Amino acid sequence: MAINPIMMTNTDLVNSKIDLDTIDVSNLNRQFLFRKEHVGKSKALVAKESAQAFNPDANIIAHHGNIMVPEYGVDFFKKFNVVMNALDNRAARNHVNRMCLAADVPLIESGTAGYLGQVDVIKKGKTECYECQPKAAQKTFPGCTIRNTPSEPIHCIVWAKHLFNQLFGEDDPDQEVSPDTEDPEAAGDAGQSALSAEAEKDVAGGIKRKSTRVWSQEIGYDPAKLFNKFFRDDVKYLLSMENLWKKRRPPVAQDWNEVCQHSTETSLESESGLQDQRIWSMSECALMFGKSISQLKADLAARGDGGMLVWDKDDEAAMNFVTATANIRAHIYGIVTKSRFEIKSMAGNIIPAIATTNAIIAALIVMEGLKILSGNFEKCRNVFLTRQPNFRKRLLVPCTLNPPNPKCYVCCEKPEVVVKLNPKHVTVKILEDKILKGGLNMVAPDVEVDDGKGTILISSEEGETDDNHDKPLATFNIGDGTRLKCDDFLQAYEVVITIKEVEKLENEAEFEIVGDLESLLDQVAEKTDEQKKAESKNGVVAMEDEDVVMETTPTAGTKRKASQEIVSTPKKPRHDDDVIVL
Amino acid sequence: MLEKITDKITEDEAALYDRQIRLWGLDAQRRLRAARVLLIGVGGLGAEVAKNIVLSGIKSLTLLDHQVVTKEAFTSQFLIPRSELGKNRAESSLGRVQLLNPMVEISADPTDVADKEDAFFTDFDVVCATCCEKQQLQRLNEICHKSDILFFAGDVFGFYGAMFSDLNTHEYAVEVKQNSAEKAIDATSAASTAPPAAKKQKTEPAEMKTVKKTTKFTRFSSALNINWREEAYVKRLKRMPKTFFIYRVLLEFRSVHRRDPSVEHVQTDKEELKQISSRLLPQIGVEPTIIQEDFYDYCFAELCCVCAVVGGVLAQEIIKAVSQKDAPHRNFFFYDGVSGDGMVDCLA
Repeated sequence: MAINPIMMTNTDLVNSKIDLDTIDVSNLNRQFLFRKEHVGKSKALVAKESAQAFNPDANIIAHHGNIMVPEYGVDFFKKFNVVMNALDNRAARNHVNRMCLAADVPLIESGTAGYLGQVDVIKKGKTECYECQPKAAQKTFPGCTIRNTPSEPIHCIVWAKHLFNQLFGEDDPDQEVSPDTEDPEAAGDAGQSALSAEAEKDVAGGIKRKSTRVWSQEIGYDPAKLFNKFFRDDVKYLLSMENLWKKRRPPVAQDWNEVCQHSTETSLESESGLQDQRIWSMSECALMFGKSISQLKADLAARGDGGMLVWDKDDEAAMNFVTATANIRAHIYGIVTKSRFEIKSMAGNIIPAIATTNAIIAALIVMEGLKILSGNFEKCRNVFLTRQPNFRKRLLVPCTLNPPNPKCYVCCEKPEVVVKLNPKHVTVKILEDKILKGGLNMVAPDVEVDDGKGTILISSEEGETDDNHDKPLATFNIGDGTRLKCDDFLQAYEVVITIKEVEKLENEAEFEIVGDLESLLDQVAEKTDEQKKAESKNGVVAMEDEDVVMETTPTAGTKRKASQEIVSTPKKPRHDDDVIVL
Repeated sequence: MLEKITDKITEDEAALYDRQIRLWGLDAQRRLRAARVLLIGVGGLGAEVAKNIVLSGIKSLTLLDHQVVTKEAFTSQFLIPRSELGKNRAESSLGRVQLLNPMVEISADPTDVADKEDAFFTDFDVVCATCCEKQQLQRLNEICHKSDILFFAGDVFGFYGAMFSDLNTHEYAVEVKQNSAEKAIDATSAASTAPPAAKKQKTEPAEMKTVKKTTKFTRFSSALNINWREEAYVKRLKRMPKTFFIYRVLLEFRSVHRRDPSVEHVQTDKEELKQISSRLLPQIGVEPTIIQEDFYDYCFAELCCVCAVVGGVLAQEIIKAVSQKDAPHRNFFFYDGVSGDGMVDCLA
């Protein structure tokens, strides 16, 4: 019997990080296809097995892998009547959105955050696509706040994660941890002690980027030396930038030996109650700083030459390092210190997830799927789950689907965006990594300069345009008004970028993607009242996270049987499989 | 009462319930782990409720159901293995419910709820009744109301679902944004001891404060006894969830026939539903046209998605009530899978 092929993409199953592909104990409070004995196993395979037990007649195919690879190209997506997303990150959502637009397959997009959830139906040419409306950018902090003048716990946590990467992870010039001598607030006095004598030494702000890692390795990751550099010498250096402290409480430098004097051997184990909930003392933090560093040092060594660690909230040493480091820094600045539990939420950007919300949203996804499969697309609605009923008594708020944004840089006929940048500073590498991949969510872009000669700037073929990487765009005569034809073959997506040359951008940003602001604002105004109400009520669920936001796969297997009964004839049965879990 | 629960959460529990503790807090989790719940009726909706509350980490769950497993169960009751056809529904569900969370005590009881003495129910903190007839619901509600047991009822008929709660006089904690005046007082008292954090006050996010609130609930029968011709109710008709009247018709069908509309007798049951709606609705003071004309086409079998929606809302209400955290929905929730509306209304 030909049954509707349905594809479900599940958050963890499509994540390229290997460690997120396996079942964690914190998943078990809601992912009911998984049990304690499954911890550490592949989610895709266990989910298939368990769902199969619920319905032995279901034909389930489990794919264990990353959705953003050529194996799952447009032809793969075309096999399905509908795609249901249960993803946890914007990059994968953007990608699946483009694949479904290219394959012209309806997409049901979803997300949950705590008690809130929403389901959106997306169909090419009929509705808004996932990228029609600009999404709030992830919260970032000015570099000088993080490096010089933190005032909230989150600033210290961000700094601690940056320090982790400087010591053990990938070197990222945007994650500098040393004092920032270019802080505009410090102007006038920063120079004196800062730029002259001390800058030459390796103790303070003058330290060159790459040397943090090299220096740490040279000292064998000695906790005392690391502690004294970051929490004593760098702080003393910051104190020399006197302008910063005219209206602020100045930081207080800490010395390893003094802090450790107060420590007692048992302090980390003796307390009763939950370890995660307790706030560590300074000496405990120092002890943990040392302990976690020696563990991480060993982990790093195990990776061999050139290896690096990736910070992971579920890695105990990595989490302890960030907790200890963030709290020591907070203490230095007189900022309230936090428990490991609280710091994990903030550092890991954890969005709480519960069984009930997931069950409701999974069911609503299937309800919309049924309408699509039974040929009643006009009955589809976007649905919001709110925390308290709205003024019309609705806890579940169905909203009519909005038409596509004609200026959407993804789903419109000829997508175009304007990018503000300085072509003398922005290199081809920055264009590729930060603008095309980071900003415009392309996966493997090809870029041609629209200069009549067809200059190839970036090729998705490995190695072909590597020589261009470090050259500024100006090298290729790219300036104000230059048009770049960008093409992602995998996503079947093309966009034309028009360069708007500027000398400098606010907050030292390297570029700014402008799009067509005017039309975007109009679109927002056209939203139905219903939707606006629901959105304001929800504060619009932000489904951005490193952790699992939701997973519908568990219920998919059990839903299927009833689906079959209601769904008359599938519109285009091209496949004999039932549910395909990616 | 919001008395302090002193039981300690273990490290294992903290790891398992991590994501929900981040949402509702340790105190709520401590209250959950003390809750003894009776679930009556282990059909499609019962299975969803059982799954959700067992995963949340209650103390114990008793499944009470005298009905046997039919083929229809396999479309929505995912806790029953296919091999259990013809056996007791509660007992057949036990194994899979236990697998969901080994930390919760699960038991099954194949007795008919009608045969249970009143005293039986007082061993529980929560009673959740599904698949029960109207008279039975009223009896259970009465027992629970008198003994201050949290009472819930829910049912799913095809695309329609309903839930009811009577929490008697319910005290709960809710987080509200602290107003600026109170904040200023806190700030001055803090300032004397804290170092001068000059920029701190301004940048700190809105502080939340926990306040206690109380709300009163009424019995199920007061909703059933409403005369919708009375002026106060006539005004409310326009904006109220019409699914309530569909629910009334279906409860009436269940009382008369001692079963739910069945796919085995589609035609006769549809006819009977029409009859009941044209007889019952005028009796309580509304025109039969108040409900969607073809509602009887959409009310057969427990549709699994509808079970998941209603079971999700119902289970969350149980969690809220037990943990005494956040404002409960008072006192009905209706889901209409045809329109997609999920509405809360206070009917009394």
